[in-house]
Amino acid sequence: MKMRAKFSKKEDLIYISHLDLMRLFHRAFRRAEIPVKYSEGFNPHPQLSLATALALGVSSDGEYMDLELESNMEPEEFKQRMNMILPNGIKILKAVPSYEKSSLVSLIRWSNYIVKFNTVDKMTIEEITNLINDFLNKKELILTKEKKKGKKVTVNQQNVRERINELFPLSVENNTVILKTTLMTGSVGNIKPNEVVDLLKEYVNIKIEEDSLRLHRLDLFIEKDGAISLPI
Amino acid sequence: MINKELFENILYKVEKPARYIGNEQNIIIKDITKDTVRFAFAFPDVYEVGMSHLGMHILYNLLNSKENIYCERVFTPWTDMEEEMRKNNLPLFALESKDYIKDFDLIGFTLQYEMSYTNIINMIDLAGIPILSKERKKSDPFVLAGGPCAYNPEPLAGIVDFFVIGEGEEVTLEVIEQYKKWRKSQGDRKDFLEMIANIEGIYVPELYNVDYKEDGTIKAFSPIDTKYPEKIKKRIIKNLDEAFYPEKIIVPFIETVHDRVMLEIFRGCTRGCRFCQAGVIYRPVRERSTDKLIEYARKLIEATGHEEISLSSLSTSDYSQILDLVLKLIEEYKDKKVGLSLPSLRLDSFPLEVIEEIQKVRKTGLTFAPEAGTQRLRDVINKGITEEDLFKTTEEAFGAGWSSVKLYFMIGLPTETLDDVIGIKNLAYEVKDIFFRIPREERKGNLKVTVSTSCFVPKPFTPFQWYPQDSIETFNEKIGLLKKNIRDNKVTYNHHDSRLSYLEAVLARGDRRIAQVLVKAWEKGCKFDGWTDKFNYEKWLKAFEETGIDPDFYASRERSYEEILPWDFIDVGVSKKYLINENEKAKKGELTQDCRQGCTGCGVNNSFTGGVC
Repeated sequence: MKMRAKFSKKEDLIYISHLDLMRLFHRAFRRAEIPVKYSEGFNPHPQLSLATALALGVSSDGEYMDLELESNMEPEEFKQRMNMILPNGIKILKAVPSYEKSSLVSLIRWSNYIVKFNTVDKMTIEEITNLINDFLNKKELILTKEKKKGKKVTVNQQNVRERINELFPLSVENNTVILKTTLMTGSVGNIKPNEVVDLLKEYVNIKIEEDSLRLHRLDLFIEKDGAISLPI
Repeated sequence: MINKELFENILYKVEKPARYIGNEQNIIIKDITKDTVRFAFAFPDVYEVGMSHLGMHILYNLLNSKENIYCERVFTPWTDMEEEMRKNNLPLFALESKDYIKDFDLIGFTLQYEMSYTNIINMIDLAGIPILSKERKKSDPFVLAGGPCAYNPEPLAGIVDFFVIGEGEEVTLEVIEQYKKWRKSQGDRKDFLEMIANIEGIYVPELYNVDYKEDGTIKAFSPIDTKYPEKIKKRIIKNLDEAFYPEKIIVPFIETVHDRVMLEIFRGCTRGCRFCQAGVIYRPVRERSTDKLIEYARKLIEATGHEEISLSSLSTSDYSQILDLVLKLIEEYKDKKVGLSLPSLRLDSFPLEVIEEIQKVRKTGLTFAPEAGTQRLRDVINKGITEEDLFKTTEEAFGAGWSSVKLYFMIGLPTETLDDVIGIKNLAYEVKDIFFRIPREERKGNLKVTVSTSCFVPKPFTPFQWYPQDSIETFNEKIGLLKKNIRDNKVTYNHHDSRLSYLEAVLARGDRRIAQVLVKAWEKGCKFDGWTDKFNYEKWLKAFEETGIDPDFYASRERSYEEILPWDFIDVGVSKKYLINENEKAKKGELTQDCRQGCTGCGVNNSFTGGVC
């Protein structure tokens, strides 16, 4: 059977990378005695796929995995056994059997985030709201990406305005700004929250204290037949 | 304790922040009371290296199994982290509690390789503790050190307060018992050092005095008072099978060098390779029983979820029950997708079917360490491996589907000629020919032969301890010769930095005068010297120059048998007479048998085991 599970990645565990997280799960499955299906070949590994690779330093309440099992297991039991042994910071929130043919990765279309940073100057919520409105009213927001292939550097420029679905302030206190945003995620089109912050600096000149940016993912969304929903 | 917000801000700035967060699976958290003795196990290299070290896991769990002892870990912060810590006045902290180690009772460094010595000074300084013993105050922790390099402790005398010579399991606890007494007694630092000076295996440098001759060699080495032992006898665990072994080990969040369950199958080695320090200092051979090892494996896999078990020893195939052990482990774990790895395996003595069985779970390359390119030189170093053995095994291995072979050699071994060096190339090319003699349709994979040479560093307590190391120029000449001659797209040649090996030779056989060079080099910014991108040879040369110490005196000088060597006061059980005899046999190319086939009279059974090995 295929198990689909939602989990969170917070506290100290935000400092481990996507690959570290995969390894952590592999070991957790063994310790929790989950009947995981392994790949064939010389280096067998669990048939586990995570919906997206969360960047190092970003916390999340909405991560998803698909896991192939050798034999059936009650989702509730899966959740309990895993949470018994997972370290603080990672928790299975929900698990369901999945009958989906397509991979989780290919279905993901959107994610929403909480974005927190400190501005260099004190700003009011009105000022921030106005700047963001100016920002969203632009027809073009050009994201420039450099790709290095050996010594060759290729520059890729794209208009990413369509990839920003919503962006608004939740609170502005002293110089701490908290925003919420929904961004396109996945293979069809992608933009990261830190890239949005870079564009904010560039297009509406918000001055941000160095290294003050903190990101939290709230959830991931899939799109099927034009309808947007949670993966579980 | 660390300021949480500051710490978080720093973690966002550094590479691999998980090196510093602790909180891994199976760490030990304890309440701290006034009776707690706080011990920092310090590994003078980065987290990923230190966490791969079995000795740390053993001592960590052993100390923490005792009431009133709390052992925590500390590694060298990488340079980016160090920079942030210094900028923010954040002293070095332990991973478990995040408390500053300057507030601990004891800081124990493990000395695994000489080129980590500047990191030790750097860590002491980063902790906010004076780097010299004599400047430490009563409120400062004691700095101790143990591990293989402690068998020549002298280069760190004056920096480290006391050394633990030999295996640490029992003696560390004895020291901590004395510490508890001393703490109650309100004595000063010197009182504690005097209290432990007579514990077997403990060496307190400040209680010993060295006089030098005009030529710079040692005239006399003696305790400052007759109440201290003249010889420091190494400690061993007599019955290894009864000794402590952890049932849980910490599982790192990030990838480390060796990230797996390690089963220490035995200590010591009977082979008697003449260049090998480990083969002498860890004598006699003591095994753990197969039953216990299988039990440890079971518990450790359960506690960690690791996907690999590795058998740890100096020469895996010499374990008396190796086949039985390997077959049992394969049987138990093949369906659980837990792989088995056998490093230090001498393939000449191991049935290929079993290795194939292992490979069914996880595949690794083949590794051989002929060490020298010709039979003549292999006889000199007493590496009892013949070309026929090697060729036969590679042939079988190629037939069984292997195609990647690594060959390890040393250059600069005693009596080596350029013919011996070219022998390295010949051996590698012969391995290649063996592959291509297999009919094309039966060959599997793409052949890759990797030849690596390291530069020989004469080490204390080996038959070659009197030997002058090759000069950097000679090393480079030999490396150049191999570079020029190994020209084949199937054969890759790698070599070590000869300058690093030269410094290693200085530190390995250094005396206490070397301590000032270490301090000077550290002041100039030397750290992580074992890391190619951090190693700065020019700074080291300057440090020698400014302290007026000639590195050649230590690396390139031939010693006479009469000379008092800086480490002579340490009793490893193997007699000097035996080492001299071995050196003389080496010169004649005479072999010494593996001592499992009959005692070769090294002496360790006289002083350590009561007659038997």
